[in-house]
Amino acid sequence: MFLIVIRMIIIYIYILMRTIIICKIFWGYSMRKSILGLAITAALFSGGAMAASIEDKIDMLQDEIDQLKAQAAHAEKNSGGLKSFSANSTLGGYGELHYNNFSGDVPAGQKRAKDEIDFHRFVLFFGHRFNDWISFKSELELEHSNTENEGQVELEQAYLDFNFSEKMNAKAGVFLIPIGFLNETHEPPTFFGVERNTIETRILPSTWWEAGASLYGELAPGWKYQTGLTSSLAAANFENFATKGIREGRRNVSEAPAENIALHGRLDYSGMPGLTVGASVITGKTGQDDDLLDGADARLTLWDMHARYNVDKLDLRALYAQGHLSDAQQVNDAFGYETANRFYGWYMEAAYHVWKNGDHDLAPFIRYEKWDTQADIPNNVVRSEESENNIWTVGANYWPHPQVVLKVDYQKYDKPDGDKGDKRFNLGLGYMF
Amino acid sequence: MLKYKLGIILILLLITGVVNAIENYLSTDQFVAETFGANVPKMQTLWLNKEDLKQVDKILGHAPAQFRQRYWKSADTTAWVLEEIGKEELITAGFVLKAGKILQVRILTYRESRGWEVRYPVFLKQYQGLALQSDTYLNRNIDGISGATLSVKAVSRMARLALYYDQLSTKN
Repeated sequence: MFLIVIRMIIIYIYILMRTIIICKIFWGYSMRKSILGLAITAALFSGGAMAASIEDKIDMLQDEIDQLKAQAAHAEKNSGGLKSFSANSTLGGYGELHYNNFSGDVPAGQKRAKDEIDFHRFVLFFGHRFNDWISFKSELELEHSNTENEGQVELEQAYLDFNFSEKMNAKAGVFLIPIGFLNETHEPPTFFGVERNTIETRILPSTWWEAGASLYGELAPGWKYQTGLTSSLAAANFENFATKGIREGRRNVSEAPAENIALHGRLDYSGMPGLTVGASVITGKTGQDDDLLDGADARLTLWDMHARYNVDKLDLRALYAQGHLSDAQQVNDAFGYETANRFYGWYMEAAYHVWKNGDHDLAPFIRYEKWDTQADIPNNVVRSEESENNIWTVGANYWPHPQVVLKVDYQKYDKPDGDKGDKRFNLGLGYMF
Repeated sequence: MLKYKLGIILILLLITGVVNAIENYLSTDQFVAETFGANVPKMQTLWLNKEDLKQVDKILGHAPAQFRQRYWKSADTTAWVLEEIGKEELITAGFVLKAGKILQVRILTYRESRGWEVRYPVFLKQYQGLALQSDTYLNRNIDGISGATLSVKAVSRMARLALYYDQLSTKN
């Protein structure tokens, strides 16, 4: 009899403890007295029905635990409209702060520019998935921290993405032209150097976006393609061609002329870990039926070949880009510009991750770039001193976290880069999320 | 001319055929059957306590979506199906672990519009044999994919999480 009483007490304590544990799981660690009371009552009540057998009781409690766990799991999935909305929507962004120290020679008669500090880009991504095959993606950018001075707010991406199949998908709206490395992937932690490389700013005018539609997918394992039609640049805006190439011709889908369209295509092979090799091209008339051009097409064809190999601690990157502009002579006659029939640029870059420890990553790099925005000019242009140049850049990226980067580099230009001199020391801070 | 070309684009969009939605390469059931064959063990649940949640937060860089994780275990082999955001969308991946090391990784569902190279066996093969260091990082470097940096990092975070969960399941 004594043993039976002892066993019953032990079982009461056991049931009480299990009940309290369940309460803790579902009502948190700060259980209120009333809940504790309920737990004790439940334990006593459970004890009253214990005459059957201890094993049955334990099984019953186990079932209850399983049911409560299932309810908790169900509650996680169905916790209201706000969560349901947020589950289908994503928010991201990136930003970069730059300090540029200019030194060295400047062209005769020019005064060297003052050093600069600039929150160059503050970008927010917003995306929403409507269903399992339609989603929306956007990127809104504030450049130079305000809209006074040279700053501006830009809608760089706003498109609908239609996922049909592995082989064929489509997007339509405003999106980045798939050319080179940086135009589509330019979050600061993903590239070396404080400023973006010169070839992908003066020859390939990143960031470059247009409105249109594009198909993309996988031709075969490792082979990706993208092709489509978009709005085109405007030759009437090819100002400062010798120093900026076709950059000024971008109209940013802002009440932009739409008399001409451009065709783009890209093919990449990335079937081996760490290796990407590819080429891209965009071609389209840029005359936009401007009266001053008297029917000239001013067709621009811009292409590039690129390769990246990232194996173990070594990271190598190279890119060659070239552009051809038909009717350059008419463009220059019509607008007084200095456009070229042909322009090109290339760079090679090597980085080595010398120290990796957890999230921490330090990688010095070296890059050589060379370009000529007036490689082949019509006879109504005088070749500019500033059209051809090359740069050596040495520096380092330090990631204290994979999505945060601190950058430092030193650049030596072959010839002065206008009033910014021929030597530059840069510091940068960047993030993405 | 413009209308004609835009017409072609629209036609191309229409003839892309039957909408196949998000790319589902393998269902969870198929993954588990592939791992354990005919003798699929009963699904178990790993409940995370406060300390576990802290570690998971450290590995993922954010809190987990839920405080329990389902898995399958047979002898020293465990199978886990995990989800993590690449750039904007969830990637669903299956991990098979044996004796504390990664035996196999499979991408079950890929939703991002870029970076789908992470599902290639030649890329995923890099994870085979990897173990977790005491600081919860992988014990070997993973070669990335240009333009798929965020997807690669997401798969690596999931690999670390699977190894950590495997340790917890062994303790339990």
